[in-house]
Amino acid sequence: MKPHLIALGAIVAAGLAAAFGVRDAVALDLVFTLLLYAVLGQSWNWISGYAGNISFGHAIFFGCGAYASALMVTHGLSPWLAIPAGALAAAALAIVTGFPTLALRGHYFSIATIAVAAIVDALVRTQPALGRATGFELPIATGWAALQFADKGPYIVLALALFAAVQVATIALERSRLGYYLRALRANHAAAAAVGIDERSWKLLAFAWSAVIASCAGVLYAQYTLFVDPPSTIALGISIDIALVGVVGGIGTLWGPAVGALVYVVLAKGVALELGGSGKGYDLVIYGAIICVIAALRPHGIVGSIVDGLRRRRGALDLGAAATGGAA
Amino acid sequence: MTATAAAPLLEVRGLAKRFGALRALDGVDLDVAGGKLTGLIGPNGAGKSTAFACIAGAERPSAGSIRFRETEIAGMPASRVTRAGIGRTYQIVQTFADMTVLEATTTGALLRHPRLSDAMARAEEVLEFVGLADKRHRLGRALTIADKKRLEVARALATEPELLLLDEVMAGLTPAECGAAVELLRGTLARGITILMVEHVMEVLMPIADHIVVIAAGKSIFRGSAAEAVRDAAVVEAYLGAPLADDAPEAPR
Repeated sequence: MKPHLIALGAIVAAGLAAAFGVRDAVALDLVFTLLLYAVLGQSWNWISGYAGNISFGHAIFFGCGAYASALMVTHGLSPWLAIPAGALAAAALAIVTGFPTLALRGHYFSIATIAVAAIVDALVRTQPALGRATGFELPIATGWAALQFADKGPYIVLALALFAAVQVATIALERSRLGYYLRALRANHAAAAAVGIDERSWKLLAFAWSAVIASCAGVLYAQYTLFVDPPSTIALGISIDIALVGVVGGIGTLWGPAVGALVYVVLAKGVALELGGSGKGYDLVIYGAIICVIAALRPHGIVGSIVDGLRRRRGALDLGAAATGGAA
Repeated sequence: MTATAAAPLLEVRGLAKRFGALRALDGVDLDVAGGKLTGLIGPNGAGKSTAFACIAGAERPSAGSIRFRETEIAGMPASRVTRAGIGRTYQIVQTFADMTVLEATTTGALLRHPRLSDAMARAEEVLEFVGLADKRHRLGRALTIADKKRLEVARALATEPELLLLDEVMAGLTPAECGAAVELLRGTLARGITILMVEHVMEVLMPIADHIVVIAAGKSIFRGSAAEAVRDAAVVEAYLGAPLADDAPEAPR
């Protein structure tokens, strides 16, 4: 636990240094995107990594926050209200969709998340109150009350605060009854039932928290870009990006989403910045190739492979009494 | 603990389970007296595991009643049966593959001790009791069969059951490992935990069982002591077939 907090402290310190030291808007934008995806990846990780229910519709919870922000601001209300409002909407959506689907075996949960995301997308695109396909442009204001800033610095500070809060919450999850129960359910639902774990209620709890985290990221994103429309928030492509961040870094690990976000931002966005302008799509080819290589060589993800390696060294995987070393 | 002399801890009456046209269970009666070890035996395919699954909540019975501490539990989901005070192990071990021995046992202990530190302390005690304390940081999937079965018992004991259901815990163990397992069962009984144990190796059960229930072809055909069971004609016939007089083709699967 201690090393995790030290690592987190180092990241926050580096982020703060960037927020106040770096003037390059493009670099700061990458830092913001990195933190945002680290949070979204961790949100996905709660239900898909720890609990093992792969979600392909996570962008709709991100969208709950983004649209809550857009609606509050365009109706002349404080964007701060979007944080609880988006969280409530996201949690409600997670509970309504999770109740019938979370205890299904096989891929049905994943399929259901795609279907629900498609329905939400279609609804938003046709509802005038939700801005239809054109979305919302948020009126410009500045200051903490309006949660808008002329500079990128404060946005980085907010993103860092959200990232740190989510990492601390995940450390707490790993050391909690919920965290143990989710891992047990993922590993073996029959054995989990035999120790008294009610699958549906614990997974609903995890799914609701996961949705709340994604919604918080959505509020921050809307206040950052000041533009919210379906393709940039709730589209299937965003959901897949979120899932990729979770998978690449390592499913069900504390640092997996952050590492996945780093890979995503450096490769998808960084390469796009270098090559994207050529119009030949090299960036997507390179990013796709890297994903394939990681999937083939490191199916547990980057952090997952490191965890396995550490365990092997500590002897946790040694077979039988004759094995060397033994448990520490 | 509260069970009076009259009421058994677990009382099963007329238990039936059909899978389509197949009658896997067709009238099983059994009593488990508090504080005792009851053995549930029968030839392969007799319905032992189905009866076990119905009691544990893994299968929903088609008919009949299952009363635990005088409360009806038939049809309850497995997680609620466990919360009511019945722990179980699986015939084919079901490990939490990426959890260590301590983590898996802690998961069981969290049922009665929601705080992780309390649950972990409880799990340590249980691991000491079952003899897995020195392997607490091994992953469940890296244990030997005998240790995996021990871990199953530890995980079930960590839920602090009043009744422990054991499904063929001895199967696949060497004689020495069986001896150690019997010691573990005696220790469990000494802690005041009642045991209902499915076994198809009769000789394992004979020295330790207070009561025996024999199931054949989905029905309970005998209830009594182990010594009586081996002399009972119906039991002998179920296991070995009818006396030699007639060599009629019997086809036990």
